[in-house]
Amino acid sequence: MTVTDVLVCALGAVSLGAAIRVVTTNQIVRAGLWLVVALGALAGVYLVLTAELLAWVQVLIYVGAVVVLMLFAVMLTRAPIGRSDDLDRPRLPAILVGGGAGLGLAAVLADAYRWSYIGLSGVEPGNAEALGREVFTGWALPFEVLSVLLLAALVGAIAISRPEVGERREES
Amino acid sequence: MNDIQLPPIDYAALLPMLIVFGLACVGILAEAFVPRKHRFAVQATLTLAALIAGLVTVIINRDLEVTTIGGAVTIDGAGLFLQGIILVLGIVAFGLIAERRLERGGAFVANAAHAADSDGDKKQLNEAGATEIFPLTLFAIAGMMLFCVSGDLLTMFVALEVFSLPLYLMCGLARRRRLLSQESALKYFLLGAFASAFFLYGVALIYGYAGSVQLVAIKQSVLDSDKSGVLLAAGLALLAIGLLFKAAAVPFHVWTPDVYQGAPTPITALMAACVKAAAFGGLLRVFNVAFETTSWDWRPVITAVAMATMIVGSILAVTQTDIKRLLAYSSIANAGYLLVGVVSLGGAVGSSMFYLVAYGFSVLAAFGMVTLVRDADGEATHLSRWAGLGKGSPLFSAMFTIIMLGFAGIPLTSGFSSKFALFSSAWDANQSALVIVGVLSSVVLAFPYLKVVVLLWLNPPGDETPTVSVPGYLTRAVVGVGVLATIVLGVAPSWLLDMVNSAGTFLAK
Amino acid sequence: MTPEYYLVLAAVLFTIGAVGVLIRRNAIVVFMCVELMLNAANLTLVTFARINGSLDGQIMAFFVMVVAAAEVVVGLAIIMSIFRSRRSASVDDANLLKY
Repeated sequence: MTVTDVLVCALGAVSLGAAIRVVTTNQIVRAGLWLVVALGALAGVYLVLTAELLAWVQVLIYVGAVVVLMLFAVMLTRAPIGRSDDLDRPRLPAILVGGGAGLGLAAVLADAYRWSYIGLSGVEPGNAEALGREVFTGWALPFEVLSVLLLAALVGAIAISRPEVGERREES
Repeated sequence: MNDIQLPPIDYAALLPMLIVFGLACVGILAEAFVPRKHRFAVQATLTLAALIAGLVTVIINRDLEVTTIGGAVTIDGAGLFLQGIILVLGIVAFGLIAERRLERGGAFVANAAHAADSDGDKKQLNEAGATEIFPLTLFAIAGMMLFCVSGDLLTMFVALEVFSLPLYLMCGLARRRRLLSQESALKYFLLGAFASAFFLYGVALIYGYAGSVQLVAIKQSVLDSDKSGVLLAAGLALLAIGLLFKAAAVPFHVWTPDVYQGAPTPITALMAACVKAAAFGGLLRVFNVAFETTSWDWRPVITAVAMATMIVGSILAVTQTDIKRLLAYSSIANAGYLLVGVVSLGGAVGSSMFYLVAYGFSVLAAFGMVTLVRDADGEATHLSRWAGLGKGSPLFSAMFTIIMLGFAGIPLTSGFSSKFALFSSAWDANQSALVIVGVLSSVVLAFPYLKVVVLLWLNPPGDETPTVSVPGYLTRAVVGVGVLATIVLGVAPSWLLDMVNSAGTFLAK
Repeated sequence: MTPEYYLVLAAVLFTIGAVGVLIRRNAIVVFMCVELMLNAANLTLVTFARINGSLDGQIMAFFVMVVAAAEVVVGLAIIMSIFRSRRSASVDDANLLKY
């Protein structure tokens, strides 16, 4: 076991434990907070994988924006903040099917990469400059389309949740 | 610092998509700056102009075969034809979306955020509907066009989201039956996000296997990679789940009836015609370009899915009592027939595209006519209320009968010619078992259609038979075009068959 | 580094997310589980990028984060609107449409 392996095992254990809490906790707000822990630990794993920029973006977008937005949604929908008992459907079939498929998948991956080892050297770290160059040489089209996607999502979200713009104008 | 080289870009090849994306953005600006009373006219004109300009440029590009912008887009004969299908069906669906004569203000709500049945909600019953619907439609259609010509799986994922997100939102904007509509939006969104997570994990595994997500590179590495084939199979399976969800194949179809029923009918029509074309365009491209050489691995699975889809779709269609749910199950069964085309690979690409055209026109006309049968609460979709409509509105009933006979596959309609073309090319590809199941299930599926016909003409009208509204010119045009296409493609299909066959297949280099 | 650890971690995370989507009823929690699945896919992409010695996988993960942000916007807008008209964010309360 090298240092990176130990780090990954520790971060992975944190992430998995937190993920299990997200799925099992009875309190919605806590699910959101456990999600922060799970995704934050993943950011650490990204750092170990030399994906610097991605680690920071993970913290900014997921922890900073997505989870905060979700917590806002929890508050705005006045979901029960405390314990609520009706959060689950019958579990067993889903756990059996999903767990079986997932463990099979894990076994496939473990089998495909057993005993392989990849050195740390010789890989360009994923910092902002390297990623930026790559985006604009190989991935220009999806990048541009993503900006359109964000615009569409924004306008659509306003269209479906906008308060009464017209009425306010009539009042004033 | 200035050493960044953009990849070579063939703007002519991208022009159709650039036009639709660009005018969608202009539409958003119009939403912000055009005064409220002119907004509808401006938006409708812009949308129609974008779709027509897109179609014209697709036709101009018709002989183009090029891979451009770093391999993200592959323009080829089949891809251009699929783009053309999406645009033509989009123009027809636009007629339903822009219709404002059937109901004051159109089929869409003005402020979706009002609590249902609150005072504000009642007050807005007569307000004009939200005009954001037009740019959102354009975004969705542009996304579908990109989806059909994506050269790599990541572009495909982004395009999938570009057309899905606006559709999720538009499902929740119905004027009547708001709760039902919002529920369908929620259901579609949650299951859609679930499916796209599967798609993405599949992309990741295939990236691990092939070292690239370009379809052509995947094909190459399938031939000469020494990595575990199980990895590829797992990736392909997860990828297929995401695609089959959009195509509404069994067992990933559970959202279809609910969403088709709850969404505003013009959006349902858009989904049934255009999204089906886009989803199958993507499926055909992925399987024909990247995974053709591994067909031994996936064929049995997709064959089983196709059979299940045909059987479940047609049997459940028999038990439906709501016309929109009936059409939803019929669209599931039709997804099964189209999967027969996917399994048959290269030889069936042309006939699959023919099927998409024929089915798209018929289903648009069908949903167009569903919007016409109304009572005080909006559309009357329960089948029992359609009894005896033939007495009062013979023209409407005659046209609906033609569409139903078309769906049932009666000769001299497009339903017959398209099924015949598809099944015969599948037969040539040695898929005889699928063809037999397909023919048998289409016999079963004829039953609910004929039941509707009998209901229209032979049953006595009930006390509360709704009226058939006099359609505005837009809906009239949509229904007319749909019925006409159903007859023309049934009587004289050869010109379109020649066209799809000469359109060529997918570019795999 | 041993790629096995990363890949198995991602697979297990994906499974937890998928099972979570199937067993939870609150729309917001279901959505959190979808985010877990997307993150598992991202981790797989980044790991394979490291194995293949290219940056493509990292870029894809980057794009996925943006897509996820857009999805969150749309999803929460839909959840908010359904809550306003019905005062509940439970998936099963939304049952005018029968299974």
